[in-house]
Amino acid sequence: MKATFKIFRYDPDKDKKPYYKEYTLDVEPNTVLLDVLNDIKWHYDGTLTFRRSCAHAICGSCGMTINGKNRLACQTLIKDLDTSKPIKIEPLKSYPVIKDLVVDMNKFYEKMFKVKPYLVNDNPPPGREFLQTPEEQKLIDEAYSCIWCGCCTSSCPSFWADDDYLGPAALLKAYRFIFDTRDTLTEERLRIVNDADGVWRCHVIFNCVEACPKEINITEYISRLKLKVVTSKL
Amino acid sequence: MSFKSSGNSGAFAWFYQRITGIFLFVILLLHFTIMHFTGTGEITYENIVGRLSDPYWKMLDLSFVVFALYHGLNGIWMAIQDYVRSEGWRAVIYTILVLVGVFLFFLAAVTLIPFGLK
Ligand code: FES
Repeated sequence: MKATFKIFRYDPDKDKKPYYKEYTLDVEPNTVLLDVLNDIKWHYDGTLTFRRSCAHAICGSCGMTINGKNRLACQTLIKDLDTSKPIKIEPLKSYPVIKDLVVDMNKFYEKMFKVKPYLVNDNPPPGREFLQTPEEQKLIDEAYSCIWCGCCTSSCPSFWADDDYLGPAALLKAYRFIFDTRDTLTEERLRIVNDADGVWRCHVIFNCVEACPKEINITEYISRLKLKVVTSKL
Repeated sequence: MSFKSSGNSGAFAWFYQRITGIFLFVILLLHFTIMHFTGTGEITYENIVGRLSDPYWKMLDLSFVVFALYHGLNGIWMAIQDYVRSEGWRAVIYTILVLVGVFLFFLAAVTLIPFGLK
């Protein structure tokens, strides 16, 4: 079947302002959108630029806005999109565009590192793994499957208004370690998120939950963080 | 960011927004039940004077005002913090909100407290 893709194009070296370019090609319903983009790049227009690496929804490179929704191109099937109209593909909102669908993620990563996205435990190693009970594990089960694609933070109205806001991805990461029974940096982590640009900037809008390609209930975890902050002595 | 209110981080504002919300909900239920269902009948001067000469009613109504003012103005302030980035404008708006709150509370107090007292 034929489908049209209306793709955001912008090359700061050549273009005064961004524009949309349409490509119409034959696709199968079960084709993944990333393959269509590759097809366009390899056979129709070599100047089209986008990020991708794993093609298996695990590296988080191919986050983009597809028909208004933030998702991974490598996880989106053509049959799940409305092909009766051109399919609109844009770079993730509110990150600066470098070229076409490639955005500058530096500020996003800065915030991820602000919450120290690694396990800290200065206790002497017990001679084997640090064990957790299944219940303790369950607390963070979903939260650690984040792949840093940035779809959630880019979908958050609080982040659109204030790009100093840590954003859902970083707060989810903070949750993941604060609620990890093996981590010992809990208090410092709580102080980091207890900030006007931290957890309190979240107004429970749920856009992040809708955007997350890993279907993580991010808003729920941010709410648990808020509760943890007000109930702990900081 | 340095200009903040209601505690440093927003934890205080968030927490009391919820507390006042719960109180408002309870008081509102009470208000509707009494005013519209089990009420003392018509809204006449005598009826109102009768109720408002009771100090407990005065206290309840006054706390209604306080909670509603905090909840409403705090909500506006949260939205302002989202969209107004300049420290100067924030300070101006914050001052206006506080003044509005104090003024409305004053109005409520001078109406409620002496009402029905000879
Ligand atoms: S290419 Fe790796 S997540 Fe899509």
